Amino acid sequence: MPRDFKMSVPDYMQCAEDHQTLLVVVQPVGIVSEENFFRIYKRICSVSQISVRDSQRVLYIRYRHHYPPENNEWGDFQTHRKVVGLITITDCFSAKDWPQTFEKFHVQKEIYGSTLYDSRLFVFGLQGEIAEQARTDVAFYPNYEDCQMVEKRIEDFIESLFIVLESKRLDRATDKSGDKIPLLCVPFEKKDFVGLDTDSSVLLGLKRHYKKRCQGRMRKHVGDLCLQAGMLQDSLVHYHMSVELLRSVNDFLWLGAALEGLCSASVIYHYPGGTGGKSGARRFQGSALSAEAANRHRPGAQEVLIDPGALTTSGINPDTSTEIGRAKNCLSPEDIIDKYKEAISYYSKYKNAGVIELEACIKAVRVLAIQKRSMEASEFLQNAVYINLRQLSEEEKIQRYSILSELYELIGFHRKSAFFKRVAAMQCVAPSIAEPGWRACYKLLLETLPGYSLSLDPKDFSRGTHRGWAAVQMRLLHELVYASRRMGNPALSVRHLSFLLQTMLDFLSDQEKKDVTQSLENYTSKCPGTMEPIALPGGLTLPPVPFTKLPIVRHVKLLNLPASLRPHKMKSLLGQNMSTKSPFIYSPIIAHNRGEERSKKIDFQWVQGDVCEVQLMVYNPMPFELRVENMGLLTSGVEFESLPAALSLPAESGLYPVTLVGVPQTTGTITVNGYHTTVFGVFSDCLLDDLPGIKTSGSTVEVIPALPRLQISTSLPRSAHSLQPSSGDEISTNVSVQLYNGESQQLIIKLENIGMEPLEKLEVTSKVLTTKDGISVSGFPLSSPFRQVVRPRVEGKPVNPPESSKAGDCSHVKTLEAVLNFKYSGGPGHTEGYYRNLSLGLHVEVEPSVFFTRVSTLPASSTRQCHLLLDVFNSTEHELTVSTRNSEVLILHAGECQRMAIQVDKFNFESFPESPGEKGQFANPKQLEEERREARGLEIHSKLGIRWRIPSLKRSGEASVEGLLNQLVLEHLQLAPLQWDVLVDGQPCDREVAAACQVGNPVRLEVRLTNRSPRSVGPFALTVVPFQDHQNGVHNYDLHDTVSFVGSSTFYLDAVQPSSQSACLGALLFLYTGDFFLHIRFHEDSTSKELPPSWFCLPSVHVRAVEVQA
Amino acid sequence: MAVCVAVIAKENYPLYIRSTPTENELKFHYMVHTSLDVVDEKISAMGKALVDQRELYLGLLYPTEDYKMFRKLHNSYTDVMCNPFYNPGDRIQSRAFDNMVTSMMIPVC
Repeated sequence: MPRDFKMSVPDYMQCAEDHQTLLVVVQPVGIVSEENFFRIYKRICSVSQISVRDSQRVLYIRYRHHYPPENNEWGDFQTHRKVVGLITITDCFSAKDWPQTFEKFHVQKEIYGSTLYDSRLFVFGLQGEIAEQARTDVAFYPNYEDCQMVEKRIEDFIESLFIVLESKRLDRATDKSGDKIPLLCVPFEKKDFVGLDTDSSVLLGLKRHYKKRCQGRMRKHVGDLCLQAGMLQDSLVHYHMSVELLRSVNDFLWLGAALEGLCSASVIYHYPGGTGGKSGARRFQGSALSAEAANRHRPGAQEVLIDPGALTTSGINPDTSTEIGRAKNCLSPEDIIDKYKEAISYYSKYKNAGVIELEACIKAVRVLAIQKRSMEASEFLQNAVYINLRQLSEEEKIQRYSILSELYELIGFHRKSAFFKRVAAMQCVAPSIAEPGWRACYKLLLETLPGYSLSLDPKDFSRGTHRGWAAVQMRLLHELVYASRRMGNPALSVRHLSFLLQTMLDFLSDQEKKDVTQSLENYTSKCPGTMEPIALPGGLTLPPVPFTKLPIVRHVKLLNLPASLRPHKMKSLLGQNMSTKSPFIYSPIIAHNRGEERSKKIDFQWVQGDVCEVQLMVYNPMPFELRVENMGLLTSGVEFESLPAALSLPAESGLYPVTLVGVPQTTGTITVNGYHTTVFGVFSDCLLDDLPGIKTSGSTVEVIPALPRLQISTSLPRSAHSLQPSSGDEISTNVSVQLYNGESQQLIIKLENIGMEPLEKLEVTSKVLTTKDGISVSGFPLSSPFRQVVRPRVEGKPVNPPESSKAGDCSHVKTLEAVLNFKYSGGPGHTEGYYRNLSLGLHVEVEPSVFFTRVSTLPASSTRQCHLLLDVFNSTEHELTVSTRNSEVLILHAGECQRMAIQVDKFNFESFPESPGEKGQFANPKQLEEERREARGLEIHSKLGIRWRIPSLKRSGEASVEGLLNQLVLEHLQLAPLQWDVLVDGQPCDREVAAACQVGNPVRLEVRLTNRSPRSVGPFALTVVPFQDHQNGVHNYDLHDTVSFVGSSTFYLDAVQPSSQSACLGALLFLYTGDFFLHIRFHEDSTSKELPPSWFCLPSVHVRAVEVQA
Repeated sequence: MAVCVAVIAKENYPLYIRSTPTENELKFHYMVHTSLDVVDEKISAMGKALVDQRELYLGLLYPTEDYKMFRKLHNSYTDVMCNPFYNPGDRIQSRAFDNMVTSMMIPVC
């Protein structure tokens, strides 16, 4: 075995107090299962310190299950490196195997043979004769469970080690062979001194020099032994002396060791809690009390004073007594560091002492960490970093970087710690390693996160802009992604990559954004990202990463239902503000509470079973098109069926409206908590509460029970023109139509219940909005009111055309707007008192057709009739015909005006106008008059039946004279309430037809008055005046010879009561043939002055007297 | 001549970082980041020692020769902070500052 004198394996866990420990190696021999071995090893380790009988000295043991023998070679240099005890553990099940097993034990002993004080063999499994023999070096146990005595055996073993140690210490300290002190050497020095004959050295100086060196080194060695033996104060004395001796001979390596010994002893004195951190704590575990006890009684101090002979008798230095006083004062904390520095500077002179130097650095760092002198500690660590031991194995490199990281952590340099941990992680997967340890790499990388101020919870990044070392953090995340992928855990890769994308988005270049999303999509194609937290073996949990920035949502708004589907609450007697259960109308507390409530709850309702909408304003921060799939709402409070949408947002889009829809399935209060998306294969649940800078106008809404849903369709096309009624109602459907004045249009409205609930109630109302030109419209007579109609299918209702009758400015188009309201309800919503309102807006553009520019009357031959003269103007651009009921057709060219005469029977207005009066009892006389006039107009209109037709357009309509009728015309048209009938020979006669009578025969003449007026009239006196019309303008009244009266020519009529008749009779005798007229005149005095003159209009009677035919 | 200039916010993130061999920028990020431990330590030590609070120069992380460099940089940084349009905590994007850093990076011969 080639001897490498260099100690090459550093113990990175070393600390100053290890100098006082005895090194015991515990190893298995033969085949022992790891589990069993470590079970026993653990128990052995628990015996880490022992108070030596009847003294206050404490012995500390350091156990190792692996120790490189070349390190053992340095045992003389620092005795804590020397393996002094060996415990071997072995399985042996039969006596037959025993000799062989025992042989192996001996072989094992050989390895550390030169330094061992004592050794033990623990045999498990062997029973019987052999096991019963009592041996000190071998212990037999039947099995691994049944071995209560192990600790006791170890204690005994340690005591035996102590005896050897103590004897060696005393032996060395009191070595009387004075002049012949051996020179202790480190392995690499040995060849230098080979052949050096110390005795034959000629030069005295050289010899003295050599002797001092021997003494110094031995002193140092004794110091080590004292320290191990629990005699701290003694060790300090020896170290001090050794330092002086060695300094004088410039034996730097050993001087360094002596200084370090001094430091170690001082550290042990100052810091009884240990400097080793966790490992140190473990060492003192279960023995904290005894450690304190050790502190109270500084071991060794007393003894030095009591038994100074142990020192003074020393042959090495006869003058130790002078040193005692100084030795009591161990190094101050500051001095410790100075001495460490010095020691390290000496070590650094020797290339082969690299491990010693490195370990010294580490020990000093631990001390400085306790002293909280981070800056100096970092200098030591910096030095340690630059110590190149040799070509380290990859595993050693990992260990080295890890320990550097731990040490930096220890002194509070978290960033440096993270840096080295990351280097260690990278080392785990270095290309030179045959089997890269991705798992270890990943684990180490995770540990670096705090150093880079990176948590894996995206919530930590949601507040404000991300501030951190983006470049290094991003690198770390990339490494985590890669490591987890190589670990074969794609879910982890996806999670980390999602996190990277979500939190580092602002720092990614366009190309990086593309690359990251590309690889994310690659990963998610095999393993989609979820919202489940991922638990790592180390106890860490990776929270889910919702993509709240893909897309970025700026605004969330819950939308009301469209106007036609909005539910309304029926006004109940209890009033609407039932929510306030306070008797006070106003209370500041309630008002305040309501205000708060309102800030969240929106004051409109959604309806169960009806699609409702939430509008989001989103934008895509990516430089490429973003495909968002499965975007839907997250809600609570009500069972909600979300109907997800897929959208595609263009690159770096501006704010882009997205509407998410869903159907509430139950009733109650629904809260929109957020939305979910699938982007790049990652499912995200984004909660609004977690979104920074989002604007929302409340997210809670009431869902009321289901209502039926009506759909309206009409025979007329829908129009884009929408009505804007001032009342605030919203019109759901609009139709518009263009009509000529007087034209009729039938509108068929079809209502269909497309909802799931039955329609139980439907109310139809109409309303004419104020029109722009003040057209007077008599309203919409609806054919029938619908009530309690269940599931109506088709409803047809003719709507009368609006009639315009203002003659003045008919030349331009007028508009009429009206609203039909359908108020309906049904299903559970109905029982809750909700209804819906569907309104149909009607927009009519009225173009002028024909109108009458002038109206006048001419009396007709009959008193019951008259001629109505109308000047008709065609204001259309088409030729049109005008006809009346009597089908007189008048053709009018565009823009032409013609007069037409219509013979009409006079009207008996008095018979009906009482009807409006019934309800208009309170109306003033003026209003009454107005109504009466209107009614008259209507009657005249219907009687006349004037219609127009535009043949080219095949359109027709009515023309009305209503508005034109002035008082005079009306009076002319009115039939007098006093109806006068003249009957000639029993036949009523009129001017048109001549009544025939025979000459010589008296003709009966009867004047009959029917009083239709509401008052009694009369008495009247009438005179019959006969005359002949010569048709040349001459009326011959001198007819005494031709016409004779039978009786008086003057009649008297008594007063006539309302609606009764009265008649007076007389007779005429025509003496000659001829045409005669009878003029019946009233006597001036008999006519009632207050009655209108038209009431006394008596028809002229035309009588033709003819010869009697034989 | 400086190879890398960084301005770090007191909340531990770079307000500005620039290095001359741009191809290995990340290396400088790591370097600056890890060296902040020392800055932290120096600042906390300053608090303890009650040294002149107006002395902002903490000293050298590693030996370089130029103290003036810090003065120049700090003056320019002060100018940036005086800009009313600059939001404290944002990344420094001032052109004047950038030019100053560039001048520090060009080897003065």
